[in-house]
Amino acid sequence: MLRAAINPHEEVYTMTAAGIEVFLQTLIAGILLGGLYALIGLGMTLIMGVMKIINLAHGELMMVGMYIAYWMFVLFHIDPYLSVFIATPLLFFLGIGIQKFLINPLLKVESILPENQVILTVGVGMVLANLATMAFKSDYRSTPVSYATNAFYLGDFWKSSPIELSVSVPWSVSFLFAVAITIGLGFFLSRTDMGKSIRATAQDHDAALLMGVNVKLMRVVTFGIGSGLVGAAGCLFIPIYYLFPSLGGQFTLIAFVITILGGLGSTAGAIIGGLILGVFESMTATYVGMGWAPVGRFAIFTACLIFLPGGVASLLKKKRFSK
Amino acid sequence: MKRISLVVVLSMVVSLCATPLFAADALDLTIPLPLTGGQAKFGEMEKRSYEIAAEEINAKGGIKGKNVVLTFEDSQGKPEISRAIAEKLIDVKKQPFLVGDYSSSCSKAIAAVANERKIPYLVVTGADDAITQQNYRYVFRMNPSNAYYATGLLSYLKEVVKPTSIAILYESSDFGTSGAEDMAKQAEKMGMKVLVKEKYEKGAVDFKPVLSKVKAAKPDVIYMVSYVMDASLLMKQIKELRIDAKLFAGGAAGFAIPEFIDNAKDAADYVVTATLWSPQVKYPGAKEFADKYKKKYGDYPSYHGAEAYSALYIMKDVLERAKSMNSEDIRDAMKVTKMVTAFGPIKFEDKEGYQNQNFMDTLVLQVIKGEHETIWPLGYASKKYLYPIPTWRERR
Repeated sequence: MLRAAINPHEEVYTMTAAGIEVFLQTLIAGILLGGLYALIGLGMTLIMGVMKIINLAHGELMMVGMYIAYWMFVLFHIDPYLSVFIATPLLFFLGIGIQKFLINPLLKVESILPENQVILTVGVGMVLANLATMAFKSDYRSTPVSYATNAFYLGDFWKSSPIELSVSVPWSVSFLFAVAITIGLGFFLSRTDMGKSIRATAQDHDAALLMGVNVKLMRVVTFGIGSGLVGAAGCLFIPIYYLFPSLGGQFTLIAFVITILGGLGSTAGAIIGGLILGVFESMTATYVGMGWAPVGRFAIFTACLIFLPGGVASLLKKKRFSK
Repeated sequence: MKRISLVVVLSMVVSLCATPLFAADALDLTIPLPLTGGQAKFGEMEKRSYEIAAEEINAKGGIKGKNVVLTFEDSQGKPEISRAIAEKLIDVKKQPFLVGDYSSSCSKAIAAVANERKIPYLVVTGADDAITQQNYRYVFRMNPSNAYYATGLLSYLKEVVKPTSIAILYESSDFGTSGAEDMAKQAEKMGMKVLVKEKYEKGAVDFKPVLSKVKAAKPDVIYMVSYVMDASLLMKQIKELRIDAKLFAGGAAGFAIPEFIDNAKDAADYVVTATLWSPQVKYPGAKEFADKYKKKYGDYPSYHGAEAYSALYIMKDVLERAKSMNSEDIRDAMKVTKMVTAFGPIKFEDKEGYQNQNFMDTLVLQVIKGEHETIWPLGYASKKYLYPIPTWRERR
């Protein structure tokens, strides 16, 4: 595995302490990145599951969340991590608004294609990106928090360690937040009435309707939750990344790949899909070349469509038949 | 877009009914620049600098008695849009010469059109070597090409750092690629071993995988060619991983503007960067321009500002020497330009495979106590360079 390099400078990858250090450091980076990717993918997956449409404004909603966190930081000196509790509800209501006033009316129209709604989300995304450009200009912005470059070092805990590993403070805090939000979501979906109704709607729309589930409300709420999740992801991303109005597209793409990888609508699949993508990208960057990371993303996407059309979810289902 | 077409329509109407009167009053010049999109930061700075120059020129009687009126078209940093703007300026507006745009890719696109249509074009900031290596008769470049950006830095390496190995990280654009190729070539010539040479897609989130590879390779110098946000992410993540090298060096662009320090904070300390200009150079008008800019916009301009500012003065000089406002005459006048601007001496030469290229000394800046200071060549230095630099562990 460690020798699987096609790079000319391969002496780095031999099974030495340095080689192991590179491998472990890459793995850490991949898992941290994957956790954040999973959170981005979750929102899209949830919407996909309930409404059977891909929300292509997903990245733009994340951008809105990031702007909220940015302005909270600049104007009121609120830490981006605390903004999670501000941006998430705001985005939740924005999502509800989009579903209620834009997508629902479209459902009533006799349309030839169900894709109409997907096309609408593209439009919503473009409007959001352009509004942001008009309001905030295309400047790059970031929140220079004081702990931005702090990290935990293995050498500080274990003096005689032969290798040195570092784990970034903001990256791990973001990761832990993502995990907490994911667990919270899992709890909501499996233990509350509303969560169960959402899952029922996702599994069988007509049956849910017959059982007395308010399907229309579930749709609205789901879009709200999906938006809120990606808004939270935005707040977790800004301390480690930066912000500009047209950043949405690249994250929509990531969310899309994760949704396909996870199996179109499976939340557990999306989490695993996010982690796979994060680790895969990091490994590609180290052992093939960083310029190849986007190619790797498409490779895994295509491979998944061909060899595993059901995504990770189909593997999970094979293991336990009942769900 | 609307404003642009309005300007075009207006200028057409005006040229139809009152050409002589209009031409006598104003010299209408349209400059393509990235005013939105990822490079807007630089476009904005250049726009402001052009405007300062126009103001000064107009206050002193304009060019040949005509007031300079500037308009800007947004090329969004996209070569196809730059090309379209250039074609419009040539065909519709009948502008006899072209100036501007920011990135290498955009300048390249305009250069191709300009040469084909025999319209002189002054490249202001595009640094890709190829632009002036294609036997373009009508393309002139005032900034040194990418291969020369790092000459100052190389002499600093040779005389102070004396490294034996280097790692090169660069963005996969025209600018990044040509900068990295040139550095690799020069480094090998100096006897350095290139341990890692890795490109990345602009906008990458996580550089740590590739940086941990760099760390394991233990290079003496880490050289990066990046725009500003990638530059600060790189330095921040280098600090996180505690990668210690004898020198962290940037190849101009993102490393040389104040936003780099604002975003990278203390991770930017001791980083050196190649640059073409600094407010501390001793060319006439340089300090005045820098101070004027700072007073107006709160920050010192980087070399991009000085280039734009001086570009307008070059065109003033050229137009005043040209026999007529005919493209061919302007081209001939450009060819024999010999002047000193706030940016430095300007002379368009044909040598070493280049045509109509300006050659000049380049500088090295170092971030010292949160400010960019000129450290090399020693004759230009505003502060003594700090070398060797402390390790990350010692910095706390």
